[in-house]
Amino acid sequence: MRLNNRYRTKIAGFCFILPALLVVGLLLLYPVVSSIFYSFTSKHLIKPGYDFVFFDNYIKILTDKDFWMSFLTSVRWTIVSLIGQIVVGFTAALALERIRHGRGIYRTLLIIPWAFPSIVIALSWKWILNGVSGFLPNFLVKIGLCQSAPQFFSSGGLVFPTLVFINIWFGAPLIMVNVLSALQTVPKDQYEAAQLDGASPWQSFVHITLPHIRVVVGLLVVLRTIWVFNNFDTIYLITGGGPANLTQTVPIYAYNVGWGLKQLGRSSAVTVLLLIFLLIVCMFYFKILDKWEKEGA
Amino acid sequence: MKKALSLLLASVMLLTCLAACGNSSTPSGNSDTPPATAQTGGAPETGSGEPAALEGEITFWHSFTQGPRLETIQAAANQFMTDNPGVKITIETFSWADFYTKWTTGLASGNVPDMSTALPNHVVEMIDADAIIPMDNLIDSMGRDRFYEAPLVEMTAEDGHCYAVPLYSHAQVMWYHKDLLEKYNLEVPTTWDELYEASKIITEGEGGNAYGTSVPMGTNDMMATRFLNFYVRSAGETLLTEDGKANLTSQAAIDGINYWVKVYKDCSPTDSINFNVLDQATLYYTGKICFDYNSGFQIGGVETNAPELLDQIDCAPMPTINKGDPQVGYETSNIPMVIWKNSAHPEICEAFIKYLYEPENYVPFLLSVPVGMLPALKEIADNEQFLSDPMVQKFSHAKDVISKAVGEGTAIGMENGPRPEAGLLTSQGVIESMFQDIVINGTPVEQAAKAAEDKLNDLFETVG
Repeated sequence: MRLNNRYRTKIAGFCFILPALLVVGLLLLYPVVSSIFYSFTSKHLIKPGYDFVFFDNYIKILTDKDFWMSFLTSVRWTIVSLIGQIVVGFTAALALERIRHGRGIYRTLLIIPWAFPSIVIALSWKWILNGVSGFLPNFLVKIGLCQSAPQFFSSGGLVFPTLVFINIWFGAPLIMVNVLSALQTVPKDQYEAAQLDGASPWQSFVHITLPHIRVVVGLLVVLRTIWVFNNFDTIYLITGGGPANLTQTVPIYAYNVGWGLKQLGRSSAVTVLLLIFLLIVCMFYFKILDKWEKEGA
Repeated sequence: MKKALSLLLASVMLLTCLAACGNSSTPSGNSDTPPATAQTGGAPETGSGEPAALEGEITFWHSFTQGPRLETIQAAANQFMTDNPGVKITIETFSWADFYTKWTTGLASGNVPDMSTALPNHVVEMIDADAIIPMDNLIDSMGRDRFYEAPLVEMTAEDGHCYAVPLYSHAQVMWYHKDLLEKYNLEVPTTWDELYEASKIITEGEGGNAYGTSVPMGTNDMMATRFLNFYVRSAGETLLTEDGKANLTSQAAIDGINYWVKVYKDCSPTDSINFNVLDQATLYYTGKICFDYNSGFQIGGVETNAPELLDQIDCAPMPTINKGDPQVGYETSNIPMVIWKNSAHPEICEAFIKYLYEPENYVPFLLSVPVGMLPALKEIADNEQFLSDPMVQKFSHAKDVISKAVGEGTAIGMENGPRPEAGLLTSQGVIESMFQDIVINGTPVEQAAKAAEDKLNDLFETVG
């Protein structure tokens, strides 16, 4: 009778988690498994039927110069954006922490970029930086800083930094809010003790602040790495990967292969490679985070 | 008791979840009806020979997102449903880009409409994917000779069947702002060299306030391909050879690439390297460029954005290589309607399509974008209601120029009939990337053209 009750309890528990399992299975596992499956096929977007081509898709991608260019652009895009977002977000959080009055208002104002949908961000920046009628290029000419309107999206040397700037502007608020929350958990008496011992502000920051918040920052870096590396909409909506493929990242490359050429099999192979790369990066990150957590324990 | 309640609650949650997920794949509510016939062919008849009353539900996807066009189609559908109480027409509207995504992704799951509008290149892909049915019977029953010939030829596949019925046509011609030409005492250019000279004078004279023209090269659109095609066609060449190979290294193509790069450097805003069709058109609507190359839709764009400039715009035939050369090729777009193979009620689609061509529906539809949409039926050219429209009268010269061009051109890459390669030629941004490569990286024109040609030919192998 007792065993029977335990069995019933297990069934009830399973029924409770079944909807969640179904959602996770359908929304997470199915796309991943189907991508892996299709990456070994000649699956076409609109043509019926497909053949197994084994590693043909992977060979074609890994021997494609455009893929490697996109991969390098993605890596540069991720590293530079991430460093920028952390520096700006961290600095803003430290500054906000010092503010005694109206912190909530400032925090709300600074989080606004994060609240905008990508399409609004893309169109707004395209409008502000438009080389013909954009406000900023014409303003720079008007105040005499530039002789002719700078071409933020069409100059080979400016387009990538401009996109990175937009990404930093967009992503830094998230870092700021999370770091600010973490800063508020640092015990204030430790700062007072350090001050009594004659520690400088820099020493307090390095030996008290950083050890307390590094796990939070580390997790943010993991999440942002995945999001920024996979970012598609901002770049696609602003430049489409151009000019001359200077801003084409791996997700845009995968989109062009899958939706432009309709080669879903090959596009799936790109996404599987992307997944493997990000898994390796995340494993590396988590190893460091584990080490930090053990040190903190 | 608690456990029983828990089990009950969990079961309810699960069933709710399953119920919410269920029944989503039934297309258009047609699951209770028989499969489509293989060919359109008139309304079904009763045993007594009388046409049977139409009954059923169809979904119609179209891309007429602007208010007046949308309203005229909806009004026609409403009246059709009133006249045929057993029929329900559900209209869904998408931009062309969304429409393409929607049907290509929907095809595998059967989630496509019963009938839709399409772009000529879409029709080729739909035929290739065996997604639409021939419409010869419908065209014949309406009167094949009522339609202009070129659009029907363009939609006729290798099997000899016509898979789409043209709804309206337009052609790309050269638009200009009269005030800017007058300001610099310039004539309307008739050759490419004259166009360059006039554009350069205006660009230099305006000092950044306006430009002679703009050369859009954004990879999100097909504008650079379109511009190159203008030049190449005027030289009597094509961007696709008869056997469906890319043709970017012909002398005409190399000259065309050099020409547009020169125009870009000397007469165009630098930012146009990323422009799409809307970026480009907006400059013309607001008088920021003197010359643009587009259809009669320019009139509506100017009317909406800068109505004060409406008196200052007109169009002319596309320039030629040498003065007096015959204009041998325009880019035309014949926008058709198709009936999908998945449709359970092709007879309703067919009846509704016929109904749309009734003058009381068709003329208001055409006049919802005056001069932008030219009739696919010959008889409308003499229709009093159509000709007496104030905007048609105001832009009668433009209408004549475009009408003449419509009869002399084809869609890009379809000069030798519908080919799936034509779709890839315009949709992959290869020619746009080539232009960007030349401008940004300074790659020699011949080298960039050869690389783009090879890339396109590689892509063409995917549609073999």
